[in-house]
Amino acid sequence: MMDRVWTMMSEDPEMGPKLRDADVPQRFEFDDLDLVVNVRAGREDEDANLVWVWGDDVDWEPRVKMTMSSETANKYFQGKENVAMAIARRRIKAGGDVAASLSLIPITKGIFAPFRAMLADEYPHLLV
Amino acid sequence: MATAGPTSELSLKEAARRAGVSPATLQRWAKGGAIPHYDGTWTPVVATYARMVARLRSKGHALADIKLAGQSGQLAFGYIEDLFAVTREPLTLADGAKQTGLEPALIERMIQALGLGAAAQEALTKDDLDLLRYSAAVLDAGFPLVAFLQLVRVYSQALAQIADAEVRLFHLYVHEPLMRDGISGIEIAEQMEGLARKLLPLAAPVMNELHRRHLRQFVEQDVIGHMEADLEQVPLELGSLRVAIAFVDLAGYTRLTDELGDEAAVDVVERFVSAVQVTLPEDARVIKTIGDGVMVVGSDCAALTDWAIGFQVLMPDRPQPRIGMHYGATLYRDGDYFGREVNRAARVATRAAGGEVLVTRTVVEAAGANLEFEMIGKVRLKGFKDPTELFLAHLAEEERL
Repeated sequence: MMDRVWTMMSEDPEMGPKLRDADVPQRFEFDDLDLVVNVRAGREDEDANLVWVWGDDVDWEPRVKMTMSSETANKYFQGKENVAMAIARRRIKAGGDVAASLSLIPITKGIFAPFRAMLADEYPHLLV
Repeated sequence: MATAGPTSELSLKEAARRAGVSPATLQRWAKGGAIPHYDGTWTPVVATYARMVARLRSKGHALADIKLAGQSGQLAFGYIEDLFAVTREPLTLADGAKQTGLEPALIERMIQALGLGAAAQEALTKDDLDLLRYSAAVLDAGFPLVAFLQLVRVYSQALAQIADAEVRLFHLYVHEPLMRDGISGIEIAEQMEGLARKLLPLAAPVMNELHRRHLRQFVEQDVIGHMEADLEQVPLELGSLRVAIAFVDLAGYTRLTDELGDEAAVDVVERFVSAVQVTLPEDARVIKTIGDGVMVVGSDCAALTDWAIGFQVLMPDRPQPRIGMHYGATLYRDGDYFGREVNRAARVATRAAGGEVLVTRTVVEAAGANLEFEMIGKVRLKGFKDPTELFLAHLAEEERL
């Protein structure tokens, strides 16, 4: 499902180019699933706005690192998790250039509605 | 009285009346070429320009300078002003009272609250009357007068700020560039008028939609706030609210301004205010910006304290925010929060250093168990006789990545 999220963000005409321009490589760890995904902006010779690889075997360094449960990620992408509060409530552990992640928050708000629509269609039990 | 179209012909007497000068003065200015777009015919647009010339003359500007300003397009806003032509009906407050069913004294108070200006006290326009009729309907529906007067003051202040921003931004990003490109005064006026005609009808639907969304959000928060207050608190006096207040500003901002210059420092503040706005809990909002700082108010103290801690984690670079917080009873007036407890929160913030969140005991008691508070002592805050206990709030060190 997370692949679908990155695909939606990458292909969205608003979010995709803005995330590419922001150029903030991020590493997300979903600790309850023991999964890591590294996401970066598409390079000049790549068509996609975002490129993501599951695992740490990547040829770039993340600028921002975030560790959270899949439940917190699900809430965040539905617009139901506040990043600053989640950090204080230990639901998100943030590291690296966390200030850079601030620039992504307003951009990624565009995912909330399509993500909730996708869940309503296909995974209604995950709606919060 | 019918409103003339922008190109319909006016008599010299009517044009002079609209400009607020004598016909002889108007003729003298026209002969001297000081009135833009005057080609021997008086129209409402030309009369609008004449009114601007009169204003400039009353401020001591020489006719020769005004003439030059007109030729270079500096007075081009005059044409846009004609889009908002106001027709004064010879209606007194007594007429208004008769037509709306409101007492003349109440109409006076409403005119003040609505910010309609002194002219409305002397002669009401048809639009003024419509506003008063809407107001009467709101009161008839049972909304208390004390609350209604506050509400219209908030509308008036917020909309005045919006209009000011629209005019200033139009000036900076449309008018100035046209003048710098050396375009003639007439062309500037035409381009600006065309753009304004396209943009103005878009403003109302955008504001309506934003208002609807904000209203929905705040109604939800109010319902939650009521429920929580009923469960835990002693009732406050009518018009008072118990809220969490945070003052947040940038430590070392003045020095940064010296180092980077005004424009770069303003960019830093804009990014900071935007970061505050996009990260705040749902129930909290920025009440006002004060230079390089903001005042934030929220109904959920635990959520706002968590936000303050998380915000510091998200803003590790210089200039770092410093945050002071307090939780207490405030007077809610005209969309703002007042009283001793607001002042206390502001004073707490002045004691914080960059990267710190300093709070009072009421915040410690309302905050969640996820945070740690280190008492730094009892401090006599400026303006307060009794000392206030201050605590440094933080996240456990081992929780950071």
